[in-house]
Amino acid sequence: MRFVLRRLGFFVVTLWAAITLNFLIPRLMPGNAALSMMSRYKGHINPNAMHALEVAFGIKTHESLVHAYFTYIGNIARLHFGISLTFFPDTVTHQVLQALPWTLALVGTTTILAFILGTLIGLVAAWRRGGVLDGVLPPIFVITSAFPYFWLALLAIWLFSIKLGWFAESGGYDVTTTVAWSWAFVSDAFRHSVLPAVTILVTSIGGWILTMRNNTITVLAEDYVRMARAKGLSPWRIMWHYAGRNAILPNLTGFAMSLGFVVSGAILVEFVFNYPGVGWMFLQSVENQDYALMQALFLMITVAVLIAILAADGATAILDPRTRDRS
Amino acid sequence: MTLPSAAEAVVEPLEITRRPGADLWRAVAGNRKAVAGVLLLAFFLVLAIFPGQIAPYSGTAEDFGRGLGPSSAHWFGTTAYGQDVLSQLISGTRQSIIIAFAVGGLATAIAVLVGVSAAYLGGVADGVLSLITDVILVIPIFPLIIVIAAYERNSGLFTLVVVLGALGWSYGARQLRSQTLSLRSRDFLEAARVRGERRFYVIVFEIIPTMTSLIVASFLGAALYAVLFAAGLQFIGLGDPNSQSWGTMLYWAENNEALGAGMVYWAIMPGVCVALLGAAFALLNYAFDEISNPALRLRRLERKAAQELEPAPAVAAAPDSEKILEVRGLSVAYASDDGPVVAVDNVDLDLRRGEFLGIVGESGCGKSTLLYAIARLLGAPLAGEITGGQVLFKGRNMVSMTERELRAIRWREYSVVMQSAMNALNPVLTVEAQMRDALKAHSDLSKREIEKRSKEVLRLVSIDPVHLHSYPHQLSGGMRQRAMIAMALLFTPDLIIMDEPTSALDVVAQRSLMVQIKELQERLGFAVIFVTHDMSLVSHFSDRLLVMYAAQVAEFGKTRQLFDKPLHPYTQGLLEAFPSIRGENMRLVGIPGHPPDLLRPPAGCRFAARCPHAHERCAIAPPLYDVEGDLVRCVLYEHDREAVAAR
Repeated sequence: MRFVLRRLGFFVVTLWAAITLNFLIPRLMPGNAALSMMSRYKGHINPNAMHALEVAFGIKTHESLVHAYFTYIGNIARLHFGISLTFFPDTVTHQVLQALPWTLALVGTTTILAFILGTLIGLVAAWRRGGVLDGVLPPIFVITSAFPYFWLALLAIWLFSIKLGWFAESGGYDVTTTVAWSWAFVSDAFRHSVLPAVTILVTSIGGWILTMRNNTITVLAEDYVRMARAKGLSPWRIMWHYAGRNAILPNLTGFAMSLGFVVSGAILVEFVFNYPGVGWMFLQSVENQDYALMQALFLMITVAVLIAILAADGATAILDPRTRDRS
Repeated sequence: MTLPSAAEAVVEPLEITRRPGADLWRAVAGNRKAVAGVLLLAFFLVLAIFPGQIAPYSGTAEDFGRGLGPSSAHWFGTTAYGQDVLSQLISGTRQSIIIAFAVGGLATAIAVLVGVSAAYLGGVADGVLSLITDVILVIPIFPLIIVIAAYERNSGLFTLVVVLGALGWSYGARQLRSQTLSLRSRDFLEAARVRGERRFYVIVFEIIPTMTSLIVASFLGAALYAVLFAAGLQFIGLGDPNSQSWGTMLYWAENNEALGAGMVYWAIMPGVCVALLGAAFALLNYAFDEISNPALRLRRLERKAAQELEPAPAVAAAPDSEKILEVRGLSVAYASDDGPVVAVDNVDLDLRRGEFLGIVGESGCGKSTLLYAIARLLGAPLAGEITGGQVLFKGRNMVSMTERELRAIRWREYSVVMQSAMNALNPVLTVEAQMRDALKAHSDLSKREIEKRSKEVLRLVSIDPVHLHSYPHQLSGGMRQRAMIAMALLFTPDLIIMDEPTSALDVVAQRSLMVQIKELQERLGFAVIFVTHDMSLVSHFSDRLLVMYAAQVAEFGKTRQLFDKPLHPYTQGLLEAFPSIRGENMRLVGIPGHPPDLLRPPAGCRFAARCPHAHERCAIAPPLYDVEGDLVRCVLYEHDREAVAAR
């Protein structure tokens, strides 16, 4: 129980740090980009939006920094992120909620898939040490893990969309279909997601394979694996319950730590594919200097990563009794 | 007393070299991934240092036809602005190299500072620093950098390096902290503290040099991430659009839809360069992982050694029902970087039903290897191979049995008890689950019967059956050890092989566990091979004793006889090294010197260098002599006696 509380405490601190960074960065930057942007918009946008911007960036000079800070935190607690400039007069919250399902479906699924596949391949590679799988895959993935995601995305588009015409070039769905839970739409959305998904899969799976392989090799040298052999257990049982079960524990921690990296790559992949998710919207907001939307999206990405880490923690607690007992 | 010698040096994960340099270079040169990484990196370094001399044209001049295809004048064609793509690539190298090294250096410096101080200072300082490290580790850095760059548009190289460096150190810091923590209590640091050396001195000169490989790994990781992130930032237009860099090239290529417009190399080659430079760092990082953790390297004995295995006779020569185990000429070798290390050299022994055989010797004399060779459990980390001899267990030669054949007799007919139950029990399964695994592997018992049998064996070793549902870490040290013995009794095997099962316990617990083992043995009638480095421990329990020295049998005889009248000078030395429980007070004398290196054992008697009776006859390797039933390998006993074995 104390373990759970401590972890939750850590997440609150991290969230607070992200919010505070969000608050401080525009105020610490020289030249005040927000101010110049607002003077550009003056007269073009509705006074309400102007006011929201003033609050968001603390332009109102009569407000003390501390007061502004608490107002900001209060707004965030009520999910008031202001008005989006890009999608005026829509609220930021509404926009974010529209992009979220796309990213969850694409990045969420692919990340979990990459983790599971990579862990399995790493386990088998280490188990059949020096075999064909072990000889071929790890070296290949050491190299692909260094590929820039966005570049691979460009190559994929060029080869499979432009040259071969197998998949759509960009977007999350064909604009001629209506967005609904219909077979036509879902299958179309799936077809659009194949290339970005494969791109993320190929570039992120290598990390999981390598760490799982190395963990497993370390675990295979443990006494309890030799003990399992001494007991005459079937190789299958030893591989899963003695080697795999223990080797995946550090991989779960690694999952939590590399997630930021995967998300960063996914943002660029969405950008390259014009995929209507959080990452694409994030870069759109940067381009359009839509700071309210940008900050909200940054917070949301942080929260998403935190939730994923919490899930990894939960899985660790289920798989490792020592974590449960640690007080 | 416990000097590690060759056999263990191979087995243990090598200490991270304290004095890198020659060793490190040799290791790098011997690793294909490292060589590939170094070559790639060197290639880009040359491009970065001499772009003017190498590039055919200026990277910025818009002198040529727009969007030309590849030709001998322009290998990779030209851009939509009429620039030579190859020249741009070469000019862009410098920025990526600068970013990689500057960010790598900055991030590593912060990581060392934070990680080492957190671990070394401890207390509140550690708490605060670790929290900061973990928070930065978890906050998605790339989006954060984008946010910063969004406010500080077209930021220069300097800002980029500072931001990437200031955010990219947390992973390295975390690892350095835990490594420092594990070093804190090491002897050499204690010594430095006792000498009264200043804290700063201890950190800089004692701790940091031991972590070279981690620091290198941290640098390589940060450099890799810097190259990728910087290219990503420039690609989405958040860098200086006029800078000469691969990311900026990709930005312009994408803006001009280079791929669709046929300027393929313009869009592909900068990415290839980023990927190759990244791959150089990734390969080096991976290679360093292998170098600093030898367990990840796969060593194999040369084929020749493995093939020397003599064909085993179909049936044992003389099946003696009383002899449950006969080991004949057993040899085991380990592969090492310098050649095979023979850790067990031509060992003969036999064991009768219900007999208690002790095997003693210093650490690294090969006794554990012998044990695991008999049990056919060699393999990582004891990656040794049986290179000759036979192990006849109940008449069957185990050396020639397949893993499948072995599985049928494992645990049913012989079981194993290891040195530390903490390591030998699977930490994530309950005691019950681990017993069930063994029972289910060899029988069709029902759920109820499995539970019943598990409870029975726990009672045998006086553990309350409620502990069946405990995980290993929830039991005390003594209980864990007894639980492991209980597990070994599940099928009441004919033979239990024990590797120092009591040495992890305190003296009192040790004694009571020995008494319990002996009682169980007399009650259930199994035979025991018991390995220990503590002669006094087995003196009252073993029927016979085998003394090993430097991979060979030094002396083998009845325990009583061996204690009363030790023949081999080594046995005599061992006995003098331990206090007698009943005997009169006498000065304890150790054995000077240490065992020979098994990679190159001496040609003659292996003990000669440490022997008080050594003379010129010892230059010839002595055979075993039979002295009133006691076998001894020493020329002192050659008079009027035939050697037992040729060697």
